Amino acid sequence: MAHAALKTVKVPPNSASLEEARKRTIDFFKLACRSLPSVMEIYNLDDVVTVSQLRSTISAEIRKNAHITNPKVIDLLLFKATEELSNVVTHSKQRHHLIGQYVVGSGLIQDTGAKDQGISDFLKQFYTSNYF
Amino acid sequence: MGFLLHALRRSKPLLRSHLPHPPSNALRWISSSAALHGPASSLDPAPVDPPPKAPVGGARVHIPNPEDAIEVFVDGYPVKIPKGMTVLQACELAGVDIPRFCYHSRLSIAGNCRMCLVEVEKSPKPVASCAMPALPGMKIKTNTPVAKKAREGVMEFLLMNHPLDCPICDQGGECDLQDQSMAFGADRGRFTEMKRSVVDKNLGPLVKTVMTRCIQCTRCVRFATEIAGVQDLGILGRGSGEEIGTYVEKLMTSELSGNVIDICPVGALTSKPFAFKARNWELKGTETIDVTDAVGSNIRIDSRGPEVMRIVPRLNEDINEEWISDKTRFCYDGLKRQRLNDPMIRGPDGRFKAVTWRDALAVVAEVAHQVKREEIVGISGKLSDAESMMALKDFLNKMGSDNVACEGNGVSPNADLRPNYLLNTNIAGLENADAFLLVGTQPRVEAPMVNARIRKTVRATQAKVAYIGPPTDFNYDHQHLGTGPSTLLEIAEGRHAFCSTLKSAKNPVIIVGAGIFEREDKDAILSVVETIAKLNNVVRSDWNGLNVLLLNAAQAAALDLGLVSNPNESIQSAKFLYLMGADDVNLEKLPDDAFVVYQGHHGDKSVYRANVILPSSAFSEKEGTYENTEGCSQWTVPAVPTVGDARDDWKIIRALSEVAGFCLPYDTLTGVRARIKTVAPNLLNVDDREPSTVTLDMKPSCGQQMSPEPFRAAVENFYMTDSISRASKIMAQCSSILSKK
Ligand code: SF4
Ligand code: FES
Repeated sequence: MAHAALKTVKVPPNSASLEEARKRTIDFFKLACRSLPSVMEIYNLDDVVTVSQLRSTISAEIRKNAHITNPKVIDLLLFKATEELSNVVTHSKQRHHLIGQYVVGSGLIQDTGAKDQGISDFLKQFYTSNYF
Repeated sequence: MGFLLHALRRSKPLLRSHLPHPPSNALRWISSSAALHGPASSLDPAPVDPPPKAPVGGARVHIPNPEDAIEVFVDGYPVKIPKGMTVLQACELAGVDIPRFCYHSRLSIAGNCRMCLVEVEKSPKPVASCAMPALPGMKIKTNTPVAKKAREGVMEFLLMNHPLDCPICDQGGECDLQDQSMAFGADRGRFTEMKRSVVDKNLGPLVKTVMTRCIQCTRCVRFATEIAGVQDLGILGRGSGEEIGTYVEKLMTSELSGNVIDICPVGALTSKPFAFKARNWELKGTETIDVTDAVGSNIRIDSRGPEVMRIVPRLNEDINEEWISDKTRFCYDGLKRQRLNDPMIRGPDGRFKAVTWRDALAVVAEVAHQVKREEIVGISGKLSDAESMMALKDFLNKMGSDNVACEGNGVSPNADLRPNYLLNTNIAGLENADAFLLVGTQPRVEAPMVNARIRKTVRATQAKVAYIGPPTDFNYDHQHLGTGPSTLLEIAEGRHAFCSTLKSAKNPVIIVGAGIFEREDKDAILSVVETIAKLNNVVRSDWNGLNVLLLNAAQAAALDLGLVSNPNESIQSAKFLYLMGADDVNLEKLPDDAFVVYQGHHGDKSVYRANVILPSSAFSEKEGTYENTEGCSQWTVPAVPTVGDARDDWKIIRALSEVAGFCLPYDTLTGVRARIKTVAPNLLNVDDREPSTVTLDMKPSCGQQMSPEPFRAAVENFYMTDSISRASKIMAQCSSILSKK
C-alpha cells in the first residue's frame, strides 16, 4: 500500500507559502508513519526497535530542521526525505543501514549522560577511542 | 675486461676510417657518451679548487695521527684519507658513489663483480676500486668514458644470464641490479642465446631462493661465514656453472639468516613470508625499535594500511649495526594472530563475554576495593614500556600496595645502582675487549646482536672466550669451563687455568646472564663475580667490563623505575592480581579465589587464568619508551592503528585509576614522562646512553651461600620467547624445523 503510494511520487510544484510547506511536511510524516509496519517487516526490525521508536526517530529528524523558514529549502528537504523513504520501502537499503542510521545512530540507544557525570575529559575520551 | 676495453678503444677509430659513410650513423655503437671519441681530453686536469662534495651518506672519518693521512684526487678533487683505505672508500669520502655489487663495508672484500671499475691515472686498465688500496697521490677518475664503458660492459655481462623476472620478483623496486642497470647499463644487449637456469635451493622457512637470479656476488656466502658464523653457504662449480648453495641439502641454521635477504643485491634471496605480499613502494616505513629481546635493535616497520607487512633493520652502529635477528624480523605475523580486541569478563560458566570498557573497568574497580591492600599485586610483562610501568606502579602505590614487579627480574633485584644490572661496557664497547667470561648466559639465543659483536671481536682480535653454563651452541672459538657455580668459585680463588688469561687481558669482560636473577643464590653468585672482577682489574676508571646481559625489553626500565618487589612471595597471598602483559609468571601458587586482571595484546598463557581481559596495544601500535640492556632508552613509534577496541597500556591504567577513585595525576603522554623524570630521568634521554658510574666497593658483602646447582639455560626456544613470537606462525615453523637438535 505504502509501496504503491510511493511509486507514484512526483516532484510537486514549489510550495507557495510557509503554510503549504508545513502541510506538506505533515503529509510526508504521515506517509512515512504509514509505511513503518512494512518497513519493520522488510528489514526484520522487530527485535531491535519498535514502530513507535522509529516514529519518534522520524519526527526527531524532521524537528532537526525546525528552524528553517524558507519554503524552497523545506521543499528540497522534503524531496530528499521522500527519496530516502522510497529507498527504504523499496528495499534498496539493507538492514544494517537502517539500524546504523535510525536505530543506533540517532541516539535511541544513547550513552546515558547520567553515568558520565563528574568524570574527567580523559575518561570520556578514553571510552570513545584510543586516539586523542 | 680491461683488455677488451682497450682493444675496443683502439679499434674504433680504425674501423671507422675504413668505412665510407659518416661514422656517426654507420656504426651503431653502444656508448654512454659522445666524449668517448676523445679519450685523451678526459684526462685533462680538472678545475683547480673545486668545492668538495659531502661524503656519501654523511660519513665521517677520524684519522688518529696525521702522519697516516694520505691525499688522493678523486675526479680532480683532493681528499685526505687514512692509509689503508681502498679506492672505493676514498671515492665515498669524496662524495662519489661507486656502483658495486659484491663490495659490502661489513664483509671481506671479494672483488668478483667488477662493477666498481674506475680509471686510475697511469694504470693500464680500469681497476676494481673495492679491492685496490689507495696510494698517495693517486688520481682516480670515476666518470671518464673508460670507467663508464667498463661499467656498461660489466652490466651487459651480468644481465646476460639474469632472468627478466622483474615484474614477478619481490626485489623489484629495491633491487641494486635494476637501479644500476638504469643508471649505468646500456639500453640494449647483444645476447641472443638461451639464459642459464639454476635449481633453487631450500634454505628453510625464512629465506626464499630463486637462484637463477643470482649474480654470484658471494655476499651471502661471506655473510654466512663471517658474520653469522655458520659454514652453510658456499660456491659450487665454475664459470657459467657457478652456483650458490649448501653443498648438501641443508637448511640455513643461523639466528641471523634473515639478513642475507637484505644484503643480496638482486632477488635471488628474498623473504619467504613476505613473498608476493606487497611491493615496496606501497609500504609506509616507520622507524622504531624492536622489543623481542633486551638489545632494542633499530628497525623499520613497513606497513600497508593497518597491516604490518615486514620488518627490516635500520642502521645503528652502537646497537645492531645493520643486522637484526630472525626473531625480530619475522615475528610480525604474530601481531595479527591471537589478538585481544575487546574488553572481556569471564562469566560464571567460565566463558569470556565481550563487554564495554565502562563495564569492564567498573568490575575491576569494584573488586579492587574489596580486597586488602597487601593482597593487591601487579606484575608487568616482558614487553611493557616505561610509561605503562610507571602508571602501574603509581596506581598500585596509590591503592596502598607495594607489590609491583616486572617478570624476569627475579626475587627482590638490587636496583639501587644502575651498573648492577646493565651491560656497562656497552655493545659497541665489547669490540675493545680481549677476554670474555660468560657466566650462565647463552648470548646466541638471548641476544643475537650482542653475540654478533662478540663474534666480530673474536674474529678481529682473537679474543679469548670462556663460558660457564649448560652446554650450548657458539659460533666462535670458546672454552667451556664448567656448568655451575663451582667453576666460578675456582676462578675467584685463582685455582683455574683461565685465571691467567683473565689476568693478562688488557680489557677483560665478564658477562652475567639475567637468567641468574631467577636463582635463589643470585646474590652470592653476583658477589663471587664481583670478586673475580676485583681480582682481575675488570673495573677500572677507564674500563668497566662487568656486565649483566638482560633478557627482556622491559627489564632495564622496570629496574630503573623501581618495580622491585618479590612476586614469588606476594603471589601466594594475592587476591587481586594485575598482570600487565605478564605471561611467564608462575601462577600455580596463586590462590583459587584470586581475581586476575590481564591487560595485554595477545591471548597468551595468562589469559587462561584471567577473570577480566583489558585489550592493549602492541609495540607496533603505540608510542613508548624502552631501555635496552646497555641502558640506552629509545622510543617506539606507532606504525599501524590498534586492533579492535584496544587502548594504550598507560591509558587503561589511568582510566582504571579514575574509576577506582585513585585518579592518577597525568592525562597525557607528556604528563607521564614528566612523572618518569622525577623517578628515572635517564629514561627521557632518548637514544642516549646514560653512563653509569663505576662502583664496586660500595656494596655490602653478602652472607649467602652459593648452591652447587648448575646454571640453566634462560631461553629454551629462541624463536618463541614472548607473546608476540608465540603467536607467530613463522616462528612456530622455525622452532619446529630449525631448533630440532
Ligand atoms: S644469492 Fe644474492 S648475495 Fe648470494 S651470491 Fe647470489 S646475488 Fe650474491
Ligand atoms: S664491488 Fe668491486 S668488484 Fe664487486
